[in-house]
Amino acid sequence: MSDRAEFLASIRHRTQAGRYKPTNAPDVAWTGESGEGGPIGDPPARFIEELEALGGHGKRVEDREEAREYVLELARKREAKLLIRWDADELEALGVDEPLSDAGIEVTVWRELADFKEVAGKADIGLSTAAWAIAETGTLVLEGGPGMGRSVTLLPPTYVAVVPVGRILRTVPEAIGKYAGDVGSLPANVCFHTGPSRSGDIEMALFVGMHGPGDVHVILVG
Amino acid sequence: METEKPARRRETKDRRAEGLPSGVEGFNDRARRAVADEELHDSIELFTRKSVAGRNAVLDALPEAPELRERAYRIKQETMAHLDRHLQQMADAVEARGGNVFFAADGEDVVRYIGDLARSKGARVITKSKSMATEEIELNRRLEEDYADLGLEIVETDLGEWIAQLAGDTPSHIVGPILHMNRKRITEVLSQTAGEDLPPDVEALGSFARKRLREKFLTADIGITGANFGVAASGTVVTVTNEGNARLVTSVPPVHVVVMGIEKLVPRFEDLSVFVKLLARSGTGQELTVYTNFITGPRQTGELDGAEEFHLVLMDNGRSKLLGTDFEEALYCIRCGACLNVCPVYRQTGGHAYGSTYSGPIGAVITPLLKGHDEAKDLPHASSLCGACWEACPVGIPLHDLLLKLRNQQVEAGLAGKAQEIAFKGFESTMKRPLLYNISSKAGRLAQKPLEKNGSMRPLPGPLSGWTDSREMPPLAEKSFRELWKEGV
Repeated sequence: MSDRAEFLASIRHRTQAGRYKPTNAPDVAWTGESGEGGPIGDPPARFIEELEALGGHGKRVEDREEAREYVLELARKREAKLLIRWDADELEALGVDEPLSDAGIEVTVWRELADFKEVAGKADIGLSTAAWAIAETGTLVLEGGPGMGRSVTLLPPTYVAVVPVGRILRTVPEAIGKYAGDVGSLPANVCFHTGPSRSGDIEMALFVGMHGPGDVHVILVG
Repeated sequence: METEKPARRRETKDRRAEGLPSGVEGFNDRARRAVADEELHDSIELFTRKSVAGRNAVLDALPEAPELRERAYRIKQETMAHLDRHLQQMADAVEARGGNVFFAADGEDVVRYIGDLARSKGARVITKSKSMATEEIELNRRLEEDYADLGLEIVETDLGEWIAQLAGDTPSHIVGPILHMNRKRITEVLSQTAGEDLPPDVEALGSFARKRLREKFLTADIGITGANFGVAASGTVVTVTNEGNARLVTSVPPVHVVVMGIEKLVPRFEDLSVFVKLLARSGTGQELTVYTNFITGPRQTGELDGAEEFHLVLMDNGRSKLLGTDFEEALYCIRCGACLNVCPVYRQTGGHAYGSTYSGPIGAVITPLLKGHDEAKDLPHASSLCGACWEACPVGIPLHDLLLKLRNQQVEAGLAGKAQEIAFKGFESTMKRPLLYNISSKAGRLAQKPLEKNGSMRPLPGPLSGWTDSREMPPLAEKSFRELWKEGV
């Protein structure tokens, strides 16, 4: 479109012709006094602590079998009828599909769905893995991609992620750094997901499960 | 939404300057009414007190906070110095990913672009995630009016924004849009929408909203969001929410439109680690919001959800006028709302008294800049110049300096009229007490400038007379606002 050049030229003119050079860089001591941050000694433990402080549930398990049991138990407790999960090798290997079916819980895998909204919209539980987890904030880093539907982590009221402990990063900048190097290969969607969806818009009272899942579980394996 | 709009908003249509909704004159009268409204005062106090406490706690625990603030300022400085280049880079990156980019000179351009897009898609339902940029241009009203034949249903999906929309109201705070509404009023509004009496408890009200809005999320033809940040190097748009509505608005409908002010850019992806760390902490006292969502173009091959079509609208609407001027730093704002929460004026009057989309100190600065002094000449005076806003600002915008510069401009333009020579005594007394006027000598010197030009001290805005009348407030000359504010916390 032709006016783009004009638009940019006008901005260039203003930035170059302007007399003013901002000089008011903050020069006062600014908060940050107590410095509680400190090093993160045990990242998995810190992750769980942070997530639980936000009302999520975190558990570290030894192996896949234990993780599978957790998912099965959760599905039973929530009286789930339908679970939708990412199409990921790790979740295949988890081997929850059969035992869930045996328990009368239907499993749908995120691939070739005729109407993803229909299926994800009525699922009781969403199951995914995560690219990374961030210890200091209890955050999951979710990448979108083939087989890795955004809706799986978003539409069902209960959401479970199974993440190997080896993917735990310490800090948010570390996680951002994972994507800063090669921005050309960024997934179309990356989401830092931290605890249950919530709102404080009504008199600042906490309402959990506003639009996304209010019931969030992260199983750290290993 | 079939909501009846209040008459006031209708009347503003013809006299609106491009962009901001009008009605920014008359701060004094609105503020006086607001100060007398005890329920409103309680609501504002609840929100700002909690926000300030949360923000202080979480930033105090961050040893590198001062360094981050300085870096944030420098990054924005660098961004603005070469904004044309960064915009070009952003546009190239989005297009390389298969997205569409449109440069909008003003609100009219944005409305036309989205309206035409809605027409070409045969869209009926549009879901929106809270966006100040679209509030600024009254996008919803203008789409409904200018494209009435499309019969669009435009639904705000942030809980507070939705309730405001249903009530025919506007947000009164950047972060807490309906902090001015109490539960009783919210229950009325939602009950009317439900067609039945809902109990006045948060669980019931929230559950109703979840259910009703879920239907909209799933049937929307177009999703519209703002942007908290745009990354020039990658073409990424970042939105932060706690509710998850921005993630839904960008994941479910086939078309996603981002309306982003041109000042929202940062050059590099790694710059986000500075801003993401500051934004939630300053706004809500969280380390991170629940959802920090990074969108880079449309969905890729093999993906089943996420928008198939991605449109980035880069909106100027008066912003570029500030580049290279004394007011450039106003463009550094990341809309966290921290300056509102600490402002002694905002805490007395709430957001609606400002009569503009942006309230509080940042609103008092950018409204006259975007809209012109003629329309907003009261606002630079809606401040006690205590400097609390500057201290709270995570990007270090010298808001009090900018307010003084605006007052200077008014004097130079001969705009400082009788209307502002009302409550001048109180201001004079405060200014004469350096111990109470707890801010740098530089600000003090600047403050003198317009005063000297006038031959007498410049007036304090009218509402202050209202404050001195209110029973909780001692007369101004006795205490600085800063002191009052500290007592209030």
